[in-house]
Amino acid sequence: MISKILVANRGEIALRVIRSARELGLKTVAVYSQADKTSLHTMLADEKVCIGPAKASDSYLNIPNILSAAEITKADAIHPGYGFLAENSRFAEICETSGITFIGPPASIIRLMGDKNKARQAMKKAGLPVIPGSDKIIEDAADAKKIAQKIGFPVIIKAAAGGGGKGMRICRTAAQLEEQLPIAQNEAKSAFGDPSLYIEKYISGAHHIEIQIIGDKKGKILAFGERECSIQRKYQKLIEETPSAFIDERVRKKMMNAVEDAAREIGYQSLGTFEFLVDEKKRFYFMEANARVQVEHPITEMVYGINLVKAQIRVAAGEKINFPLELEMRGHSIECRINAEDPETFVPSPGKIEFLVLPGGEGLRVDSAAYGGWQIPPDYDSLVAKIIAFAPTRPLAIRKIQTALETTTIVGVKTNLPLHLQILSSTEFQEGNYDTQFMERFLQKKNPA
Amino acid sequence: MNKNNKPPAEAEEGKMGPRIDFEEIKKLIALLEEKNLAMFELEIEGLKIKISRNVPGTPPYQPMTAAPVPQYDTGSGLPPAAGPCLEADRNTHPITSPMVGTFYRAPAPNSDPFVEIGDVVKKGQTLCIIEAMKLMNEIESDADGVVTAIYVETGKPVEYGQKLFAIQVPA
Repeated sequence: MISKILVANRGEIALRVIRSARELGLKTVAVYSQADKTSLHTMLADEKVCIGPAKASDSYLNIPNILSAAEITKADAIHPGYGFLAENSRFAEICETSGITFIGPPASIIRLMGDKNKARQAMKKAGLPVIPGSDKIIEDAADAKKIAQKIGFPVIIKAAAGGGGKGMRICRTAAQLEEQLPIAQNEAKSAFGDPSLYIEKYISGAHHIEIQIIGDKKGKILAFGERECSIQRKYQKLIEETPSAFIDERVRKKMMNAVEDAAREIGYQSLGTFEFLVDEKKRFYFMEANARVQVEHPITEMVYGINLVKAQIRVAAGEKINFPLELEMRGHSIECRINAEDPETFVPSPGKIEFLVLPGGEGLRVDSAAYGGWQIPPDYDSLVAKIIAFAPTRPLAIRKIQTALETTTIVGVKTNLPLHLQILSSTEFQEGNYDTQFMERFLQKKNPA
Repeated sequence: MNKNNKPPAEAEEGKMGPRIDFEEIKKLIALLEEKNLAMFELEIEGLKIKISRNVPGTPPYQPMTAAPVPQYDTGSGLPPAAGPCLEADRNTHPITSPMVGTFYRAPAPNSDPFVEIGDVVKKGQTLCIIEAMKLMNEIESDADGVVTAIYVETGKPVEYGQKLFAIQVPA
């Protein structure tokens, strides 16, 4: 059903898809912007088509040019990767009506998950516990205060169209809420073109835990053990690991079952990730679902010994989920996201990679589109490499990823390698006892005001 | 050019180097077609003229002096978008594709092409059609001049930024 996949993305995820497609014996088409002429994905695909200038809105988000590229190369499927058009329901819909297989969930699911408030309501209906909050878009400050009083402070304001932390504000008092509301509204409007906000109870000391799922077109849903993603700065994940040192077998099974039921209820297909906050008492609350492959998917692959992207392509082609029975987690995996940025100021550091030595060895995986001599374009995200370690136990996995980072050399651009090493050697991380406020505390301790 | 030809008129006006006019370029192009030549190159005292045309069955022109460039392209059917500019002449103006699609030289399968090599074109004149998303997009010249090269065959796919035509603009 699928013979040639156009990869509507760039960077490491484009390579991930190209390699998985090759393993399946499928042809690939890379699309690229003029800023990515020398990027690796253009060299590894069977064919390549330039789709526009550097600016993403004119190239990687240019639906007409991407569809024309599929047409002239006779690609019969499109993989959107993550970011760019991955969660654009209109794009998924156009692919569907043009007879091109969109390797992702149906447009209706993407649309539902794209509206964070609607998704929350749908998941509540489908039986998932959600964080107490407004059941609909808040109308004004008075409405917001009424809801906040009911659920209790602190509360968090969120954008309905949100993502990436934009429009989010934590408020501890009614006065703060009144003050922050218009600011969040403006931020949401400028970031997403939609000022709609909703309110949730703010849970402090919580863990960000997520459950990966895959669904086929026959209605079968399979959930995988959790990923612990609490190491984040400004809602951007830095380090992920699986399993979480905080989640026990009982909670894990409960979360997996709840997600499988909810996903089945809404007819989920393809890869997806359900994100939860888990409080100190290990009560879990649904936050949002990402209807795409995620950056941190490799750690799940490592502990299950599977290839999720290959599975995603197969179910898009209409195959049934066909993993070995008794799929069990085994060992421990940690991923560090290496970004081209100043480790102190977090300012992006594009430029030419003069010299590059990536780590390797048993139990070590690197997903990266970087090479020595490559000019990192300033136009896109700063992810240079995902370094992933796998070992039988958590302490061994930590030691392995530390060794990997210590033996990595990237000359020419600044990276957050030193920051990762500091986090990994901190007591909190070593003990596995960290929540979503970890980075805030860590940076404060590092640079006391 | 034959040595017995009288020197171009402009040479007598005291300007630096030889000059050549449109009529002579057109004659050269006609000669190329007449003799069924794929490429013609002339260089005298700082003036360089290169004319190439697509002749069925001949490989595209490759400069002999080009340094070896690593080829990463693993078999794309498309020529490189904006590759090394072979016609780096002073007055050559490239027309590039503003979109991804299928290139057509004529408004309909049986009609004459919009332009041929040697045609004088005006700014705003339609040069070709690029079909994208089932829409026929007319691509116009953005300069006055003479068409000196047509890089793409009709019905072939083109990518963003790919060179379609070369227009020799007046000095």
